[in-house]
Amino acid sequence: MILDPLLDLLRGKAVTIPPMDGALRPNTMLDDADILKSCEEPDNIMSVAEKLVHSSGRDIFAMNSGKPIASFESDITALAVNPSGIIAVGLNAGGIVFQKGKIPPLDGFNCPTTLAFDGAEDLYICNGSDTHSANEWAADLMLKNSGGSLWHVSLASGERRCLAKNLSFPYGLVVDASNGRVIVSEAWRHRLVSIPVQGGMPKPVLAKLAGYPARITRKTSGGFILCLFAPRNRLIEFVLQEDDYRNAMLGEIDSRYWIAPSLSASRSFLEPLQNGGVKTMGIHKPWSPSRSYGLIVELDSNFLPVTSYHSRANGTRHGITSAIEHEGGIIATSRGGNLILRVTPEAGQA
Amino acid sequence: MTFREQFQRWRYNLVPDHLIGEILTKRWTDNAIPFLALVLTVAGFGTAIQGFFKPTALVESTRQLGEFSIVVTGLTIVMLAGGIDLSVGSIFALATFAAVSSVFIFDLPVWVGFLAAVTMGAAFGAINGYLIGYMRLRAFLTTLVTFIIGRAVYDILVVNFAAQIQTSSVTSKTWDFIGDGRILGVSISVIAAILIAIMAHIALTRSRPGLHMLAVGGSRRSAHNSGIRVRETVFMSYVISGICSGIAGFLIACRLSGAGPGTGLNLEILALTAAVVGGNSLGGGRGSIAKGAMGAIIVLVMNNGLIRLGYGTGTNQMVLGLMLAAAVVLDIRWLKNRHKVLDEVYVAPIYHRMGETQSALPDSGSPYALNNRISETDYIGLGELEGPEDVILDRNDHLYCGTRHGEIVRFFAPDYKKSEVFAHTGGFPLGLAFDKEGTLLSCVGAMGLYAISKSGEAKQLSAETKRTITSIVDDARLRDPNDLDVARDGRIYFTDSTTRYDAHDWALDSIEGRPTGRLLVYDPKTGETKTLLENYRYANGVCMAHDGKSLFFAESWACRVHRYWLQGPKAGTAECVIKDMPGYPDNINRASDGSYWMAWLGMRTPSFDLALRNPGFRKRMTRRLPSDEWLFPNINTGGVVKFDETGCIVETLGDMTGTSHPMVTSMREHKGYLYVGGILNNRIGRYKIPGADPKWTGAISYWGVAL
Repeated sequence: MILDPLLDLLRGKAVTIPPMDGALRPNTMLDDADILKSCEEPDNIMSVAEKLVHSSGRDIFAMNSGKPIASFESDITALAVNPSGIIAVGLNAGGIVFQKGKIPPLDGFNCPTTLAFDGAEDLYICNGSDTHSANEWAADLMLKNSGGSLWHVSLASGERRCLAKNLSFPYGLVVDASNGRVIVSEAWRHRLVSIPVQGGMPKPVLAKLAGYPARITRKTSGGFILCLFAPRNRLIEFVLQEDDYRNAMLGEIDSRYWIAPSLSASRSFLEPLQNGGVKTMGIHKPWSPSRSYGLIVELDSNFLPVTSYHSRANGTRHGITSAIEHEGGIIATSRGGNLILRVTPEAGQA
Repeated sequence: MTFREQFQRWRYNLVPDHLIGEILTKRWTDNAIPFLALVLTVAGFGTAIQGFFKPTALVESTRQLGEFSIVVTGLTIVMLAGGIDLSVGSIFALATFAAVSSVFIFDLPVWVGFLAAVTMGAAFGAINGYLIGYMRLRAFLTTLVTFIIGRAVYDILVVNFAAQIQTSSVTSKTWDFIGDGRILGVSISVIAAILIAIMAHIALTRSRPGLHMLAVGGSRRSAHNSGIRVRETVFMSYVISGICSGIAGFLIACRLSGAGPGTGLNLEILALTAAVVGGNSLGGGRGSIAKGAMGAIIVLVMNNGLIRLGYGTGTNQMVLGLMLAAAVVLDIRWLKNRHKVLDEVYVAPIYHRMGETQSALPDSGSPYALNNRISETDYIGLGELEGPEDVILDRNDHLYCGTRHGEIVRFFAPDYKKSEVFAHTGGFPLGLAFDKEGTLLSCVGAMGLYAISKSGEAKQLSAETKRTITSIVDDARLRDPNDLDVARDGRIYFTDSTTRYDAHDWALDSIEGRPTGRLLVYDPKTGETKTLLENYRYANGVCMAHDGKSLFFAESWACRVHRYWLQGPKAGTAECVIKDMPGYPDNINRASDGSYWMAWLGMRTPSFDLALRNPGFRKRMTRRLPSDEWLFPNINTGGVVKFDETGCIVETLGDMTGTSHPMVTSMREHKGYLYVGGILNNRIGRYKIPGADPKWTGAISYWGVAL
């Protein structure tokens, strides 16, 4: 109604979020997906010479092995591999190191969230925040920071260039060299943006996502696979507008018990609960508001969502942080569910 | 405490925000806007027009008002019954003509003239009523037709007989007295109007046909379904409206001693505006005679005032039209949004700082540390039961529990596989207890304290206590009776958790945090209920101490347990025995080893505790988010806590998996087993208590008998 803006002053403006509808219509495909492996917080998965490799805590594992290929001093936050097999590793303590080859570590990146090679020499780096480490992402969100940046490093010359600043936690990255751009997922702004490779203003290509986007990878058919690591939640969005409460919460409460998105389904009774999430007659409603969710979205080449795979509020395969196409299926890491899953798209479309 | 927090405390705990919501729940607030309009209109024109309040001027205005408000009263009745009557002006004019012609042309007595006017009104009303009530025609079009035809008939009659009436030589003292006379300075027409209004008011609010009319106006179908003769009621409403117009027509006939082309012209517009501006809903069912009267005064003062200020007919009609439009918009918007406004205003949270608590985490080492012991219960009634808030066993080991369908279900010993509906209460049975004779007593949510005989007949024992003088919403009514226990002398002690919310809205009470819970006692000898203690944050479980000298009761949202002394030096006072628990206590019951079981319905969370210190945050949350998204205490994890006579925690049982008993609202020990219930659960759990007395029952403990 025409008077709504006026009335909102009196009654308070409703907090709304985009609905999961259309291509994002919920299903249980992640809950029904095959388990490839159980391990502690699997994070970044990638394919190295047709073999699957993933990070978990401080280690890099091959998919079919329980023994680490490599271990580091600090948690691994990002992985990338170039055509000659050199693996770039982002660390939670800051900096990027290289496995194989004799490339010196790159300092100065306090929050590497995702890495991508373009060819053998060009490395693109998303630095999620200029104040927090990658594992402190929740604090970065609750402080409403936007100190993320996108960098290009030439491994041959060692030259580094900042392509974009003031990004809100860039968490996913895919190089679209043929169009001279890089696609970055800006988590706290719930969108994908396109940034020219020579640097410049980010331009949204997909906005108003129903969750916080994480990593994005390319499909062989030309589309993309986007992971959303947590759902948007109206209570959380409301808390983001409540400065006094939020600041007190950040100051007084253990970060595990914040009203903030979470990678894993509720594990402790000290975590906040919303009315809709109350178990009634033995049932946890799958559509209830939740701080965690499992969601993978397939995008077409124009970044429009085509299909999606869900683990809903009553599931546990939450916190999907990376997914890649592999042998006709999608392999995804559920960081909150401590699982690596294989989703077969045909099964859902049948 | 920071200054901001201190300020919040003052702001939200001292300013009684909750009163706004409570006042808005009153139906008389509907009158506020028309009343304000009335005061403004009278004050406005009173100051603008010189001599407005002079007695002579007032007499002249009120005389008009008398006739006019009688018409409005009739129209109000039709509108309350869900109809509309556009033909009041025509009926009024025809009635005037009927009265005038019988007296001045046919030289009949005045009472015949009165009868003629009333009959004319009744006849036209009956035509309207028949067409609309029985033939089911549209009220608007039908009365439009009678309006046009009536007016046409009147115009023909006036053209033919006006001269005859004017030249008539008939005089009558009665006639003149009715027209010009006064009783105690008040015109006859005003007295008539007042009498009719009072009669109509009493009939509408106190008599069967009147209530039927309101019911039909409120919802035709529901009225029909509840056996009201809808057609007849509608018919009667039009007849009454016709009669009212007839009486008004007779009165104006006496005053003017004639009938001209202008009689009753545009009266329907004035009357309709008056009825709607007064606040009577066009949709029917909502409104009152008083509103009609207020509307009549507003419209007449406005109309006459504008004329006396020198504005022409056009302006006058324009103002009336605008008033009507404003009233209709307000009526529709208000009706549509009233509950929303109420919802948004009603929740008025206050500041509350919870005390520091010991951890209940499994590895914390505190006495409250939860474990997984009650996740391993045998299930009773899984899938059949919904919402066993409390459970109890009788002397034959049968198990009883309430359900959210309003039933009390009995499971048969020894295996509790078979069950039957023992009694139907109609409310939500919460706390249960047996008295000495084995009669089952229950606190039925939103209804009161009930006794259920052995044959399963429910009888109300108490539904009210004494009202607090300062209360706005009637707090005499038991709004959320929750748990009870029986003393040795047969008195029943029970809690009423909140006076602010109905039983099913209990969670809203936790968000608001206003202490309105009460401890009450019902005396079966006198049948009286007395309030013993008040102002607790959700008074919940009640349990007699083993020695019967005191009782324990839980204060859920404050996470405290209190002891109320029945005997001894501290009789009649309460003291806190357990405070700052990490969980929210619910029912309390006796344990076989001389201690007590207490259910935890949920756990405190740091985020909710912090929200309790931010009342503004909670208020905005309830206004800006839908209820499903509201922050709650964590009621997906509960537990059972055992404490001794001094309030020391003996042990804690939990279900960390949340699959068997996420929320525990009650537990009852019986012959070595613990029976666990939950208001949001679909099962009762049976847990073997290690080392418990296998013979102990509540009946033995309370009454020393095992019958």
